[in-house]
Amino acid sequence: MSRTKQPVSIVVEWDHEDPVYTQIARQIRARIASGDLPAGEALPPVRTLASDLGVNLNTVARAYRLLEDDGFITIRDRSGAEVAPPAPGPDAGSRDRLRGELREVLERVRQAGIEPDELMKLVEREVASLSGQWGKSK
Amino acid sequence: METLFAWVLLVIPTAATGGLYLLLPRISRRGLLFGVYVGEEASGSEAARRITRSWYRRMGAWLTASLGAGALAALVFHAAAGSPVATLLMTSGFLVEYLRAYRRARGLAREDPPPAAAAVLGAEEPKPLLLPYLAVGLGLAAGLFAIVYTWSHYDSLPERVPTHFGFSGQPDAWGPRSLATVMLLPFLSLVLGIALGGTALLVSQAKRAVRHPDSGVSFEAQQRFRRVMGRFLAILAILVTGMMTSLSVSTIRAGLGGSQGISSLNLILVVGIVLYSLGGTLYIALRYGQGGARLERSVADHPLTDGLADNRHWMLGMFYVNREDPSFLVEHRFGLGYTLNFGNWKAVALFVAFIGLLLGITFVALLST
Repeated sequence: MSRTKQPVSIVVEWDHEDPVYTQIARQIRARIASGDLPAGEALPPVRTLASDLGVNLNTVARAYRLLEDDGFITIRDRSGAEVAPPAPGPDAGSRDRLRGELREVLERVRQAGIEPDELMKLVEREVASLSGQWGKSK
Repeated sequence: METLFAWVLLVIPTAATGGLYLLLPRISRRGLLFGVYVGEEASGSEAARRITRSWYRRMGAWLTASLGAGALAALVFHAAAGSPVATLLMTSGFLVEYLRAYRRARGLAREDPPPAAAAVLGAEEPKPLLLPYLAVGLGLAAGLFAIVYTWSHYDSLPERVPTHFGFSGQPDAWGPRSLATVMLLPFLSLVLGIALGGTALLVSQAKRAVRHPDSGVSFEAQQRFRRVMGRFLAILAILVTGMMTSLSVSTIRAGLGGSQGISSLNLILVVGIVLYSLGGTLYIALRYGQGGARLERSVADHPLTDGLADNRHWMLGMFYVNREDPSFLVEHRFGLGYTLNFGNWKAVALFVAFIGLLLGITFVALLST
């Protein structure tokens, strides 16, 4: 198992508009994407994370399942989960699903009044911030 | 000798317990004030200091009064009466003063949205402690041995058997032989050994309450505290198992006439357990602070999170009740060590079963005598 240089925290806000499992999944996903949690890194067992956060076991289990469905983690028996390496290439199913999600985001972007030029700059900046991680995972 | 021992039992535990009570505000985590999360800034305010100063004054008075009342009871009634009187008074004083300070601290608590919960990922989990497993195993093996040993000698025992031993190790009370009287000690040995060892095991899985942002400092402090508490309790469990088993065997031997009383090993173990408990508790309090508070200086100003910070889940600052939280044990908000999550029915059931078992064994034994 590869080790992170420093432990990272995730935070659950009780008055946040998103449900708790979404908050957990989103933060773990962001940590994986930023390289704070590299492939092979162990995540705590469901019970441990639920106990530390003071949330229901099902909430953490649901967050882990969501992350597993998206290919970010691999759930192991009882001992927790570990960060999955990025897939070598998208299959047809996931490519279509991601295209659909991207389209939804773009529709919201247009509705929010963001112009295409500004959008392209935003995308380029975000891709640049992640490209280092893409390079590492190859 | 007996009188001297009674006086030692009066003075040392009372002074040590009173000293620990006096010390508690100093070992608390920053942000907590007498069982209430008031925030890191408010816990260092002048208002908070006033409450704490009042605690020192009043608890000092209770300690003096307890020692005085204990000494008076020892002189007027019996040397052995001193320790229980002092303990009772000291405990009452602690409860009275705690509730008073808690009520005042509530006035400083913020009514903001509930604090966030935080957890640490990517930290290296230490290897599980083996001592608690050893303590449970020894408790089980020694308890069963004591039961089998007592059972196998039951028919050979005389009609009257020793039921109590004085400080000198000689029996000073005898009672009619009955299964309940004779089996009391072995069963207590089994229950106490396993319960204490089991608690040490649970401590190693207790809820962690970190600060945010953390950088791993408060997390590491918690881990170290959990391990030291786990070791402390496991060793205590092994000592108690040794004492109870030795006492069970000694009682039977004395009943059979094989010896004049309990061996000096028992006395040494009793004294050792008292000294170890008091000394160990004081050492952990001073070295680590509650939950490792003394190891987290560099992040002590960062906000505490969910487990300890959310006032909604704490009754009187002493009882943690969170039905969603699967934790069995959580850190005390005021005091040293851990308390149950009373919102977890499994934890409550385990606690009730343990207390019920202890009371049941004692009740049956009392009925039979």
